[in-house]
Amino acid sequence: MHIAEGYLPPAHAAAWAVASAPFVVHGVRALTREVRSNPESTLLLGASGAFTFVLSALKIPSVTGSCSHPTGTGLGAILFRPPIMAVLGTITLLFQALLLAHGGLTTLGANVFSMAIVGPWAGFGTYWLLRRFGAPLMVAVFFGAFAADLSTYCVTSVQLALAFPDPGTGFAGALAKFGSIFALTQIPLAVSEGLLTVLVMRLLTQSSKGELLRLGVLSKVTGKDKGAGRAGASGEEKEAAAR
Amino acid sequence: MRRTPPTWARPRPGAPGLPGKRVLPIDAAAHAGRWRHRHPVEKAVLGFGLTLSAVCLPAWPGAPLVGAATLAVLLGPAGVAPRLLWRAFRLPLGFCVTGAIPLLFQVGGAAGAVSLAPDGPVHAGQLLLRTSAASLGVLLFAFTTPVSDVLPRLVRAGVPAPVVDVALVMYRIGFLLLDTVAKVRQAQAARLGQASRAAAWRSLAGLGAIAFVRSFDRAARLQEGLAGRGYDGTLRVLVPEAALSRRFLAATGALLAALVAATLVLKGLLS
Repeated sequence: MHIAEGYLPPAHAAAWAVASAPFVVHGVRALTREVRSNPESTLLLGASGAFTFVLSALKIPSVTGSCSHPTGTGLGAILFRPPIMAVLGTITLLFQALLLAHGGLTTLGANVFSMAIVGPWAGFGTYWLLRRFGAPLMVAVFFGAFAADLSTYCVTSVQLALAFPDPGTGFAGALAKFGSIFALTQIPLAVSEGLLTVLVMRLLTQSSKGELLRLGVLSKVTGKDKGAGRAGASGEEKEAAAR
Repeated sequence: MRRTPPTWARPRPGAPGLPGKRVLPIDAAAHAGRWRHRHPVEKAVLGFGLTLSAVCLPAWPGAPLVGAATLAVLLGPAGVAPRLLWRAFRLPLGFCVTGAIPLLFQVGGAAGAVSLAPDGPVHAGQLLLRTSAASLGVLLFAFTTPVSDVLPRLVRAGVPAPVVDVALVMYRIGFLLLDTVAKVRQAQAARLGQASRAAAWRSLAGLGAIAFVRSFDRAARLQEGLAGRGYDGTLRVLVPEAALSRRFLAATGALLAALVAATLVLKGLLS
């Protein structure tokens, strides 16, 4: 959930923007270095960002019968790494605010902190740890996406609780209040996003092994299983496999 | 061969996986809008000035005044269609309403685990007014300024050129991808891809994978095309010429000053 425009008091909005700035600046430097040393990566990064934007516009069924949007941060962080996701996530949030009226500009810093910084780092950290301990790819992907989604909403709860402490019990009460509201909807949604991410990754390992090898998601060893030679497959063949 | 899927197979606009009936209507309206050729800085000063006023001024009576002024500009000089504005505004309004509800309650204390907060309705009302007015300010900018006019100018504002280039590619490919996703979704529905919950999940995963494959495929094709034209790492785009209007900026300043003054005077009178 994006924090809506004007929801945070000015001091909080400014503080979250300041907190996000170092991560975004670090990501911008990493991206600039990458583009300067490898100019054609501009297009690849742009495509990655567009994919993140489109992913966040998809609607996933939730347990209540209504729909919600995946954050896409887990899959994005696994595919493109958290520093790059900080920049791509910031641009995506800016586009969402201006093109879809999701989120806002005064709350951009807070939304960037939860969705483009904490979510990707938590998701990637979980994925990386599980892979280090020998977990299968899809298990690591599920928990990575689950952790990214859930951590995003935990941080959002903290941001809201700090901005609007409970009249009786202060920050702790407000955190319990916002946290329990989110928990009702977001734990099932985090599970849904984890499952969706696994399904997407399964299709990608079949249809886009070349790209996954290039992005470092699959190692050369993992990429040896059937279909590894399809790295140079045409777009039509890849789409047919993905369908 | 049937080009359009039968009615029963067409996905509902709100169905899972479908981004919407019309893709990005705000940007489409901005391209066709009355203020399309105004300099983006003018519209940014006005829209973000109103948003900041809504956030920084006392919610009562500041937010209703700012909201009313923004609405008057949107529907008057900016010429935004009321129906289109409502369709875009109802989404942030929904977030504002759901976001204000938790302020009505307090947790713990003598009254029980959950009880009505003493000043809850006042705080919730103020929050609702503030977020609504602030959202209208951003919508004013969004409805009058296409993103494609803003991005190339960000380099002059100090944003590194590679970041702007990546954002430009995102913007261009994003539209194509959204269009592709909508069409693939329709094709999936025509092939009973939404017939059951399991099928819907499979279709949704396929959509995500298709978006990935298509985005990388498009990037590779774009790369090949640009390489053939001597691409050196910089995307050069034509930026429509627009002069800054001092009159517009002065009117904006006067409007913002009047709103601040009116809020402070009214607040003094009402308290």
